[in-house]
Parts: sequence; structure tokens; C-alpha cells
Amino acid sequence: MRLLYINNDGGGFADYVQVSEGTTVEQFFKDKMQGSKPDDFLIRVNRQPVPREYVLQEGDRVTVTPTKIEGAEI
Amino acid sequence: MEDKKNLIRMAYKVQEALIMLKQSRYLEMMRQLTTFTGQLEELTAQSKKMGISLLNGWFSAAERCCKSVNRLLGDIPHSVSKLRQLTNAPQKELPKLSTLFDELNQVQQEFGSLEIDNAKSTISVITESITLDDVYLGPFRIQLELQKFNELYTSSPYHVIALSPNPAATDETVTHPHVSNEILCEGDGSVSIRAALEQGRLSDFFTMVKSILTTYNPDSPYVALIDWSGEACYDCGYVMSRDDIYFCSLCQRDYCSECSTYCRCCDEGCCVGCAEQCSYCEDQVCMNCMQECAKCNSACCSSCLEENVCPNCKEEMENNNDDQECKISEAKQNGNPGQPETSETQIKLAS
Repeated sequence: MRLLYINNDGGGFADYVQVSEGTTVEQFFKDKMQGSKPDDFLIRVNRQPVPREYVLQEGDRVTVTPTKIEGAEI
Repeated sequence: MEDKKNLIRMAYKVQEALIMLKQSRYLEMMRQLTTFTGQLEELTAQSKKMGISLLNGWFSAAERCCKSVNRLLGDIPHSVSKLRQLTNAPQKELPKLSTLFDELNQVQQEFGSLEIDNAKSTISVITESITLDDVYLGPFRIQLELQKFNELYTSSPYHVIALSPNPAATDETVTHPHVSNEILCEGDGSVSIRAALEQGRLSDFFTMVKSILTTYNPDSPYVALIDWSGEACYDCGYVMSRDDIYFCSLCQRDYCSECSTYCRCCDEGCCVGCAEQCSYCEDQVCMNCMQECAKCNSACCSSCLEENVCPNCKEEMENNNDDQECKISEAKQNGNPGQPETSETQIKLAS
């Protein structure tokens, strides 16, 4: 099934991706954000917070936004 | 809470701003293309001129063409690079009005507050009070200005305004380690913030700006949190950053540059209070290097003292010795060796 994945980490991108039926948000995050801790991100599905065991549906919009971004001096 | 009508009106304005942004990107591309094609035309013209010069044996004219070609070859890669940046990122479709409405609604839900100013075309949210490393910085207003949206590629279309400012002691324009003059230095977030704005993902934009504000990067702040309150000069009270402190090793206190000096004898830094002026050379020297003349008791630096006396006393002593020697030699010439005139006078006076 196809869903919209918006990753605001690093370069930031929004694109459609294919995932298998029955994938949970937790599995999706582990697959896409390897080595990252879920606690360091705001994960929203269809603009709403969801439990980690939420099973993704066709056409869902998944947003992953880091809660810690290092600013700098120009 | 903003009402639905207001959100729709603002969603429409955001869409208009995105159209303007899209247009500004193509306009910039056109401008760069015009520059690039102009450079190519000039290169062709120089090539023709060089051919004519060579046919006629005009070597100095050919050399001038060479210089022009060389300059153009330096400019062209710069133009290509700029064009590449603009053409590499294909534009996404403009978000629908309903999507932008959902974005605004989400911002309202996530932040609990959303302020829309239709007259100024601004969208603002207010963060909770921010404290980083025990330094209270207060709440901030993140204000997105739609009228500046088309300047996204050249300047910042939003401001970060401290609502209860606790600026750095050394620079009042710095209200946050990564905010100066209300402009946030996005650091690692710059590319993703720009992408979010280009695509009208307002909720992601505000969330990312908030994430930067709640994170401290000690490697690259405008003012480090450790220096936030600054250090006061012990003498004049001037508040300075850690890097500007001068330590006096004699009184063990911190001073500003105005209240500090260094000893011209031992080169050690010290405060103005712990330094004295040598009465002879008038240099500033520290207390350790200041001594007293054994004869006149004047303060004199160790560099000027000779055999525990100051240069003035030394000179006086030498003059006295010279006088005595002169008198002895005069006495010798008058046939009375070893008996200077003064001694005779003294003897006469004594008798």
C-alpha cells in the first residue's frame, strides 16, 4: 500500500512510499529512521499523534519531525 | 482560537504567497539564465575577435581577447552552479486550500494558540517559556510574514521575538543563543525548514523552529549560555564575556580591558590598581617589580634600579665621586699629594 511520508530530519523531504499491509507506526519508524530514537521525534499520522501499535492504512500521511534541532551562529 | 472563516481567509493568503514564491523562483531562474546566455554570447564574440586578430597578425589585440576569455571562463562556472541550484529541486504541486486549512488547524491544535493578522498578513504562534541550561529565556513569538515569503531564497520570511526577553548581558540583540535581531540561525534545520515553507507545511515549519529554540548547540551560539549573564569588572563594573576577561594574578580578580594593564618588567598581566608608575622611566610595573631607591626612597622599577639606587641618585653619586677625583688630582698638581684642598680647609676650620 502507498502512503505519504514526510521526513523533516536533515534535508527534509515529502514523498510517497510503499509499505506492506499490517505495518505499525513503530515498525515503519524503525525501518525509515534506522539508528534514531522515537523519543527524539514527533510522529504524526494524518496530523494526529497515534500509539506505536497503530497499523498504517492506505493513503495515510506520516510526518516525522525531530524535537531536537541544533541551531547555529550565522 | 481563530474562527473557521479566519483560517480559510488566511489559507487563501498562504496559497497566494506560495504562488508568488513559485513565480519568484522562476524569475530568479530567468535572471540567471539571461546572465549565463550573455556570458556565452560574449565568449562567442571574443572568439571571433581573436580569429580576426590572428589573421591580421595583431598579437596585442589577441592577448586582450585572451584576458577577456579567461575572465569569462571564471564567471561561467559560478553562473552554472547558481542555475543548477534552482533547476535541481523540482517544484512540488501547490497545496490545495483544504490542505492549508488543515495545516493552520493543526498549528492551532499543536501550539494551543494561533494569531492571525490579516492586515499585516502574519501568522504567529507563541512557545511556552524556554529555559536552557538553567538560563531562563522566556516565551517566544514565531511570526511568519507572508509578504516576505517570496524572499525565502535570500532572507528569512519569519521573525522570532522574545516576549519576556532576557538577552545576553554582552549583547542585547541576542535573546536566545541562536537568535540575533529576531532572526533565527537555523543551523541543521535550515534545509528542512525551507522545504516545509516551500510546500506550505506550516505545522512542520512552526514545530521545527520550536525544536531549534528548545535545543542548545554549545558549539555555535551567538553568545554561549555559560557567558549569558557575563562577568562584571571588579573595578568599573562593566559586564563582559568570558573571552574579554583580564585576570590580575596579584589581587586574583577579573577586570575589563580598560582597567587592566601589564607589567613592563615581567610582562605579567595585572589590574591598574596593582600597577604603579616608575618615577624614573614612567612605565607601569606590577607591585612585585616595584622597588624603593635606597637613597631617596622613590618608587622605581627593578629595570631602572642599579645597586639599589635609582638612576638620578646614581648619577648624583657619580658626580660627587668625579668632583672628589678632580680635587685630588688638582692637589697633586700643586705639590701636595694626598692632601686635597677641601681637607686643608676642613683642618683649618677644625683648628
